[in-house]
Parts: sequence; structure tokens; C-alpha cells
Amino acid sequence: MSHHPKYPNRRGFLKASAAGVALSGIASAATAQDAMPLPALEDYSPAYLKAEEWAFVMAATARLIPSEGDGPGALEARVPVFIDLQLAGDYGTADDWYMEGPHDANADFQLGWQSPLSPAQIYRAAIPAFDTWCTETYGVAFVRLDAAQQDEALTALQAGDVALDAELRDFFTILLANTKEGYFADPMYGGNHQMQAWSYIGFPGARAAYREWPERHNIKYPLGPVSINGERA
Amino acid sequence: MARQEKKKDVVIVGLGWTGSIAGIELAREGLDVLALERGHDQATVPDFKYPNQIDELKYGVRLKMMQKPSQQTLTVRRNAGETALPYRALGSFLPGNGVGGAGTHWNGLNWRPQPEELRLRSYVTENWGEEIIPEGMDLGDYPVTYDELEPFFTYFEKVAGIAGKAGNLNGQIQEGGNPFEGWRSEDYPMPPQKTTYDSAKFREACLAAGYHPFQAPAGIASTAYVNPYGMQMGPCNYCGFCERFGCYQYSKSSPQTTILDALKMMPNFEYRTESEVLRVEMAADGKTATGVTYWDEKAQEEVFQPADIVILSSYQLNNVHLMMLSGLGEIYNPLTGTGTLGKNYAYQMNGGVSMFFKDAEFNPFVGHGANGVAIDDFSVNQNDFGALGFIGGSYWRSGTFNGQPIRNMPLPRGTPSWGAGWKKGVGEWYGHAMSIGSHGSHMAYRNNHLDLDPTYTDRHGRPMMRMTFDWQDNDLRMNEYMKSQMEPLAASMNPDIMQSGFKGIGAHYDVRPYQTTHNTGGHSMSEAPQDGVVNKYSQTWKAHNVFAMGAGNFVQNTQYNPTGLLGGLAYHTVNAIRTQYLSNPRPLV
Amino acid sequence: MNTFLRIITGLVLLGIAGLLAFIFVPLQRSQPAQQLAADWQPAEGQGEYVMHASDCVACHTAEGGAPLAGGRPISSPMGTIWSTNITPDTQTGIGDWSLDDFRGAMIDGIAADGTHLYPAMPYENYRILSEEDIAALYHHLINNVEPVKNTVQETGLPFPFNLRWGIRAWNWLALRHGPGFAAAGTSELQDRGQYLVEGPGHCAACHSPRTDFMTQDGVQDGDKNFLSGGVIGGWNAPPLTGDNSAVANWSVAETADYLATGRNTHAGANGEMGLVVQHSLQYLTDEDNIAIASYLKGEDGEVIESAEFKSMPDAPANKAGEATAQMLTQASPDMDLGPRLYLDNCSGCHFVTGQGAPEIFPPLAGNPLVTGSEVKPLISIILNGADIPSTRKRPAHLVMQGYADRLDDAEVAELASFIRSAWGNNASSVSQSDVAGIRGQ
Repeated sequence: MSHHPKYPNRRGFLKASAAGVALSGIASAATAQDAMPLPALEDYSPAYLKAEEWAFVMAATARLIPSEGDGPGALEARVPVFIDLQLAGDYGTADDWYMEGPHDANADFQLGWQSPLSPAQIYRAAIPAFDTWCTETYGVAFVRLDAAQQDEALTALQAGDVALDAELRDFFTILLANTKEGYFADPMYGGNHQMQAWSYIGFPGARAAYREWPERHNIKYPLGPVSINGERA
Repeated sequence: MARQEKKKDVVIVGLGWTGSIAGIELAREGLDVLALERGHDQATVPDFKYPNQIDELKYGVRLKMMQKPSQQTLTVRRNAGETALPYRALGSFLPGNGVGGAGTHWNGLNWRPQPEELRLRSYVTENWGEEIIPEGMDLGDYPVTYDELEPFFTYFEKVAGIAGKAGNLNGQIQEGGNPFEGWRSEDYPMPPQKTTYDSAKFREACLAAGYHPFQAPAGIASTAYVNPYGMQMGPCNYCGFCERFGCYQYSKSSPQTTILDALKMMPNFEYRTESEVLRVEMAADGKTATGVTYWDEKAQEEVFQPADIVILSSYQLNNVHLMMLSGLGEIYNPLTGTGTLGKNYAYQMNGGVSMFFKDAEFNPFVGHGANGVAIDDFSVNQNDFGALGFIGGSYWRSGTFNGQPIRNMPLPRGTPSWGAGWKKGVGEWYGHAMSIGSHGSHMAYRNNHLDLDPTYTDRHGRPMMRMTFDWQDNDLRMNEYMKSQMEPLAASMNPDIMQSGFKGIGAHYDVRPYQTTHNTGGHSMSEAPQDGVVNKYSQTWKAHNVFAMGAGNFVQNTQYNPTGLLGGLAYHTVNAIRTQYLSNPRPLV
Repeated sequence: MNTFLRIITGLVLLGIAGLLAFIFVPLQRSQPAQQLAADWQPAEGQGEYVMHASDCVACHTAEGGAPLAGGRPISSPMGTIWSTNITPDTQTGIGDWSLDDFRGAMIDGIAADGTHLYPAMPYENYRILSEEDIAALYHHLINNVEPVKNTVQETGLPFPFNLRWGIRAWNWLALRHGPGFAAAGTSELQDRGQYLVEGPGHCAACHSPRTDFMTQDGVQDGDKNFLSGGVIGGWNAPPLTGDNSAVANWSVAETADYLATGRNTHAGANGEMGLVVQHSLQYLTDEDNIAIASYLKGEDGEVIESAEFKSMPDAPANKAGEATAQMLTQASPDMDLGPRLYLDNCSGCHFVTGQGAPEIFPPLAGNPLVTGSEVKPLISIILNGADIPSTRKRPAHLVMQGYADRLDDAEVAELASFIRSAWGNNASSVSQSDVAGIRGQ
């Protein structure tokens, strides 16, 4: 209980379906709360995303934060689960935002969100639109592209080279933002599984108590993170 | 037909910093005081409690402590040629919501203005002549002086529990303090905070460069503290969750930690939450207000609340909007130059340098919102405006304040924004970057103003307020000057990599990235009714029993965070109400 | 449980022995300790002050109910006792009681109708009140308090406590001291303190131990075990006398601050003591709280003018606490679970020093609540949190959140055991089943 391995360096590509299961065996489940095994991403039943959207989010986030190299990838961190839950919640429906018309979706970017669509609606409409582009360009949908082609397609999407309706133009921006949120948010939102992303960068999470540290200059804070629910790593 | 409530001596609109100050001071005077608050009630526990508050996604990203645009927002355009569009999702600025207002989620940076900033027009004309004032800049003097406000700054600092070190005690320069600050009659009520590694490096570089570093004044307790109301703060533990968060530790200065429990004990004080004031009601003669009409969210009905004195203490933008909808002044028109309400809207001109040190450990999550070492060597009263070609200045500061990884992940330019390169970058650089910020003044201009939008309405069917705002060359030139001075200082620290983030000439206002919640002006103070909306006592020129408090009073924005000035002005105002107005209600000027 | 059985056995034996006498001898009320002049009138506010000093409101007010209208459940080893309505309502309150009736309740525990009160009413202590104070209190309750019609729940205790003559037997044991106050004569200030402690303050009700018959073991100055510490509902009521008492180590001013505000450099008032501060002690004059503190410490103090504001640095770890503080400061990933849980949950406010911060975050090092014989207070606070009430001089309502949702029983046990043994604390460890039991309550 008192020894917590650092996040293991994971080189080589981990298939999503294996990742959840494999990691839950490696990283120490420190408290009773997180002992319950989570379903593998393949077996997860999305709350908002439809099957083909889920497959897209899995594939896209796996490129935005890939598994290869040090640190968890989006799939090991269960970022797709985070995105699904966010879209099913009040972020997805833009509850807090002013969404009344008239809308000018073509307005200067600097004037901020002007789409009449909520984030969840944008995912719904933009994924097939992007897939249409992928099919036109590569002959198959995004999920069927190889990793290099997926990177190329996402690069085009980010650069605005994929013709999307103006009201969908923020799609890549929110997809990338949501992916990073899911990577670094508290694990209770479904991502950052077992706080792997926090352990990787050295962020102690919800500990939020360092009175003895400000004057310990140039000494790396050594202790692993704790989550809001009390998981330890 | 609106429900009518029993008349009160005083009705306060908005229970944030200035509303709480007015509430306690006037309730102590024996008046029957009612505060109406649009948002919900909130207290340290349960609303800000550990560990639930330590949630970057909920509060830092989804902004759950903030005003929801679905409830209240405004439209924005950069110039008169553009069609203003709603500020639909929060970005550039974050008005607060609920009891305590923005005073709950600020960083705790509490500064007094420099004396010169309160008489800036005179200072400029005396030293360089009127001709250096650019066309289109509305440069003004505050109708109240630093000397008049000094006792009220001091008292606010005692109430708010500010930690720091005086640099100028009654004219005597103090070692280790800010030598360029205005005189203060007493030292800060709490000793300064500790110095984190980045601040120490910055201090060292500043001393080597001949600058005058000092610990930034912090509304963050460095010790256990009891204020003049008997309210208490606990010493900060450098948890790094200040801005956008309520403080779980009773450490951050806020209405909750410094006023509200004392106020709530008073039997002649009452507050109603989820009560959004829709308009101030005017008497038939138009010279006084009779009370306010508010929307009772729980009862889903309008309520008329009669009162002898109306105090507007909501967020600056909401104060101005409410005054426009209530006819408390004539709305400013830049084409004709008529009207004053909505004039003098100003903001803040900021920039900074990031530095990356491969081998340094900054532990960026250890800190607080007002952490750091600052210098005022480039501040308003240190700059030769004539030679430099701008009017203004900034303070610089370096100190970790938030290491939350979703939002605070500085990476060297050229690092990919996603993919394997990004992942490698976050692993390599998190904890190895520090920054210096320049927090600069922002002048008032003819073309930056607030009025009512012709198209968009709010949920009550009222026209939204419209902001017309863009960056102006004077302030951008100031920013470029800061860049030119800061980069050599940063380079002297020998970082492995460094990069600047300063807006340059030609930059346009972008509502998306967070910049600062220092929206000022719009109901600015003036010596004479034709130049502003309120007099030096925050009393509206239009109706002598209506007082409008907060940063809306600013003539132009100072180089500092606004809380110290608006706190001092609030105590100055309630003092005038207590000692001059109550015995003989009338225009005080 | 053993104690409980002993009490029952004792009371039953006693009951049988004295049965006949106790059933048939008519009730008699004690005479007033002092005769007041016929035209005597209380000073303005005197009765209300006695009401506050005697903490009537805390027991005689239900949660969310009208003040003094009764109906608050008071748990006792014998079962739940429901407090009575003492507003001047003639049907459900004390509106038709005479001063003699009222005095009978205060000093003999006998109600106007001749029945015995349950000894949750501390007439063992109130009988020490001066006749003036009793009369003033009566005057206040009858004339100044709004009558509230409120029928409170009947108290139903199991045998033998359901028989009020059993109480009569108990009274015979408990009321060995006559009515009225006997000053020790140390100093005028300490005599006043002694009066407030013994009489209205009824401190002995919690802070003296109980005999096997549940009477207070020490009611007055000079009694052997007077204020030597008790246990109430699984909470230690710490000793107020003796070299090891907290009060002996606090200055008179610090004790007076604690009484008036529920907080000082060393401690925060939790649970029952929080209620006493909230409903009673905060309303006493500064002079009276100084008098109480002076009496308890045996040393005259004086009222200190409070500063406009106070900045109070937190203490570094003391010598006994240095090793723990250093270990926590290192924040090593290899540390044991107890200290790890402390860093994850507690060090934010109580710090690695275990010293907390003056008047706001109570120290854990050397804190009797932490190291007491009873583990319930510490466990209960970890699980459910604690709060210090808003008081007139310190309006801040200070709340510690509970950790019941974040920590399981094993974790709480590890954490509590660590806290009880860190910084030189030397108390027994806590088991998972201790925690489970308290969580279930």
C-alpha cells in the first residue's frame, strides 16, 4: 500500500482494448474506491456518442495524444470516456452559454463562439463531414486510415484545409481542447485514468497543500498525486 | 403587478466586495439594510471546501463560479463599423456570480494606485504638456486625491488582510518595500509572503540590473489573521488554486473571509439571493430613486423593493448596464460627444516573457494568486512619457501562481500542439518554465465605450449592453517598450529557451483567450456632471440617493489590479454617506 | 456497558432499600438561600444575563424551534430526555409557575406539579445560584419572553428510570450540598469566577467525573474530583484543574478568549463545548470570562483591550515534533500510509508541524482531543468534520469539512493512528472497527 510505482515507461503502441485492462493491473490501485475494474474502452457504452462517433473519437484522440513514447496516450488515460461524458453533460449542451440568435457563424474568429450549435451538436455534425472529406481524399473513413494518414488528415483539419460549414469550424479546436482536458482533468470525469497523466508530468493533483515547499528551491517535489476522491499514485 | 416588499433604509445591488463593505458599514450605522444578490449564496464550507474545490476542469475550465452568459452577457465589437455579437462563452474576462462576487475567485493582488495615476492628466500636462496626449484619448484626473483616499486604502488593507512590506512609510523609503509606491500611513497588516524559486531568480536578476524588487502585496494571508471586524484568515498553504476558485483555506481575502459572517450576525441586515435587480425606479421628478425592481428567481415574479438609498455594487459591466436601463445618466455617444454613461471604458494591457530552464525545478503548483516578486521600475511614475512616446506604465512580477496542467502548460515555441511531439514536450517541460509578467495601464479613449445593443436582448427581454473596444496605439507602444526592456532582463537569467508574448501595434481585441477581469469605467467619477456619471463620493449626478461603486468609477485604468483602488473608494464613499449624507440627504458636491 | 449495569444494579438496590420511605414521605422544597426584600426588582437585563450564563437556551430549544420552547432531545445513559418548554405559555410552558415553583425546579429538581425533573436538568449546579439570580431569571422568563405554545414529546425512559421516585433516590445522593454559594475567598475576581463555574455555568456537569450512580463526582470547589475531567457521549470533557489540564498551560487571557469565542491559539471548541460557547459564554462580559479563567487557573488576570487587527505567525514544530515535521516535509513516495494520508488530507490546515495556526486551525500536536482516552472525537471529526460557531467577538463560522466520502474505515484508522503518535503524541492506535462503529452512528 505504501509503495507506488512511478508511471511505467510504455514504449510501443498499445491497442486500446488491451490498454485499460493491462494498466489496471500495473498501476497500483491504492484505495478501495478505485478497485472496481472499469470496462475496456471497446466494451464501454457511450452516454452520448453513437457507435461510429465513438470509433472516431477513439481513433482521433489516439493520434492527438498517441500511446508511443513516454507517458500515457489518450487511450490509456481513457480520454474518449471523458469526452463522451462531457458531451452528455451540460458542457455538451452549452447550458451556460448564450445561444440565442441571430447567429453569424462566419464572424471574425476573435469575436468568439458564434455557432448556433452546441459542442455536442458540432461533434455530431462534424464527424460525418470530416469522414466525407477523408473518403474523398483517401477513399476510406478516418478510422480506417493508417496512423500517418490520420495525422495528415488531422493536420488538414486543424489548418482549415477541410471544408466544413462555418458553424462547424471550431470542431478541431474543441476536439483538441477536450482531449487535453480529458488527459489532465481529475479522474472522476472519466479520463486521466489512475492519474497517469499527472504522474507523468509530476503534478500532485488535488493535494493542494504545500506550505513547507515555497522556500525549498530547485528541489523536485517527489510525492505522487492524489485525486479528489482520494485515489493515490 | 409587481409584489411590493417593506421599505428599507438602504438597498444594495450585488453582494460582492463593495456591497459587503457598504452593507457592514451602513448596518453598523444602525440603518436597515437589504442586499439583493443575483446569484446563489455561498460560504467557504460547503461551497469552496476541500477537496471538491481542487477541480481544474469544473472551476478553471468550465468556469462554474462565474456568471453564466445564458443568464447575463453583453455584445462586443472592435469598432463602430463592426456588428457587435454576443459574448456567448466566457473568455477574455470572467465576471463572478453569487455572494462574494468576483471577490471570491480573484488572485488576491491588492495594489494602491500611484498618486500620479489619480491625477494623470495634470501630471502629464505639468511635465510634458497637453500636446503629448494623443488624439482620441480621454485622459482625466480622478476628482479625489491619493491623500484623501490614503486612510481608506489603509483601512481596506486591514479589513482585507493584505500581506506585504511598505516601501514608503510617511515619506520614508523602506528597505525591501516598493520605493515607488505612494506614501502609506502604516505598514501592511501582515508580513510579506515567502519567495518561491522563480521569484528568487527574478529578484536576483533585478538586483543585478539595478532595479528595486519587492514582494508583491497579497490579499493572501501569510499568517493567521484577525481583522477589525473580528473576521479571520488562515495562513496560505500555497495550494495554487486562487484564480477562478474559492479558497478552501480561509486564506484568500474575500467578502466571505473578511466581512460576511460579521455582517450576517447583524439583525438590521438582510440579504436575498437569486434576486436580480432589473432597474432602479425613479421618483416622478427624476431627481431621486424610490427603490429597485428585481426578479425573484424562486417566486418567478418581479418585486418592487422601496428604499431611501440605493447602492449599486454589482460587477462594473452590470452596474453600467443597470444604470443605462434605469436612465441614471445619458448614454455616451462618441460621434456627438454627448452623454457620459458608458464612457471611459478601459481594460488592461498585459504581456510577458516565458523562460525555460532544463535543469531547474520550479514546482509550479506551489504558489498562490498573488505570489511573487515585483518591480515598479517601469511604472507610471517612473516613465518619461515625452521621450518614450506613450502615456502609461506597468508593474512586472514573477511568481508561480497556478500549475494546473490543462491551462498552464507553457511549451517552447515550435512544440507541436498535439501528437507525439506534444506529449514529449509536456513531459519534458512541465515544471521547468517560469515567466515574468507585465501588467500595464490602459487609458480611456473616445472609441472604447459601452452602450445598448440594437439587436440582442437578455432573458428578461431587456436590450443587452454593447461593448465597443479595441487596443489603441498608445497602450500597444507601452507594451512594446516593456518587451524591449524585459527581454534583456530575462536573457540575463540565462534560460535555455525564452519567448515573449506581447501584443504589438496592429493587434486587435480577441475575446477568446482569458486576459483579465479588470473591466473599468463606464460610470466614471468626475469633478463636474458633464464629465462623468458620479461625483467623488460615487454619488450619481442624476439622483443623489443612488451611489454606484466599484471599478466603474475609474476615470482610466491604472497599471494595477483594481481591487485596492475600488476598496479604498468604497470606504471613502460609505464614510461620506455616514458622516455627510445621512444627516442631510442631498447632492454632496 | 459494565458501568451501565453497575448503575442499574446500584439504583435498583438503592430503590428497594429506600422504596417505602421515598414513596410515602411528602416532597419538600428547600428554602431560599437568601431572603430578598419584598420590593426587590432585578436590574435591567440581569435575568437575561443569568439565562445566558446558565445556558438555558441550548437545552430548552429544539433544532430550528422557537427559543426556550423545549423539545430538544438530550441523550443520557438512561435514554433520551426531551427538554421542556420554559416560555411563559400557561398550558405548555411555565406561565403559571410561581417564583417558589421555579426555585423548586432550579434547586431541588421539583416541577410545579410536584413531580421530579430528570437530572438532565443540572439542578445539582443551579442550586448554587444566588436567590437574586434565580429571581431575576424567573422574572425574565415570565415577563420578557414571548409565550410559545409547544407541547414537547414525553420523555419515556426504560425501567427503572421511568419511575420518578427513582430520581428521588438519586437526588438524595446527588444533592448533598445545600442551596447557595460558598466563596473560597481567594480574590473577588476568582470568587466571581468560582460562582459562575459552580452555579450558572454548571461546568461540573461535564467536566467532573460521574459516580457509579451517575451523580456528579465533585460539584463544588474543594470536592476531590471537582472538574477533574469527564466523559460525555464518548467525548472527553477535559480536566479544568490540575497541572495537566489545558487551562493550567494557557494564559488567563487565552482561556477567556476560548470561552468568549470558541477559539484561541491552542484549541477550537467542538461539539458540546461549541454549543456552550454559542449559546452561553459569548454573551458573558469580558470581565466574567476573565473571572472564570482566573478562577480555573488560580491566578487573577485582567481584560486586555483587543487590538484593531492581529497577525499571528504559526508556530514551527516543537522539539518533540521535529522528526515528524521533517519526514512530512521530505514528501517521500516511500512514506507509510498514515503520513501519506495526512499529507493528502490534513496538512493543508494543520501543517507538517502539527501546530496548525493560531485561533483558526487547532494544533494536533499535544491536543487532548487528539490524544484522549476516547478515540471517538478524533474519528468523528475526521469523518464528519467540525465547526466553531459564529460568535460576537469572532463572527467567522469556521468549518472543517468531513472526510467520510474520501476515506474508508481502514484509511481513517491509519490516519488517526498516525496523528495520535506523531509529533511526540503518544496515544493508542485506532482500529478499523473503531472507525466502522463510529461511522455507523
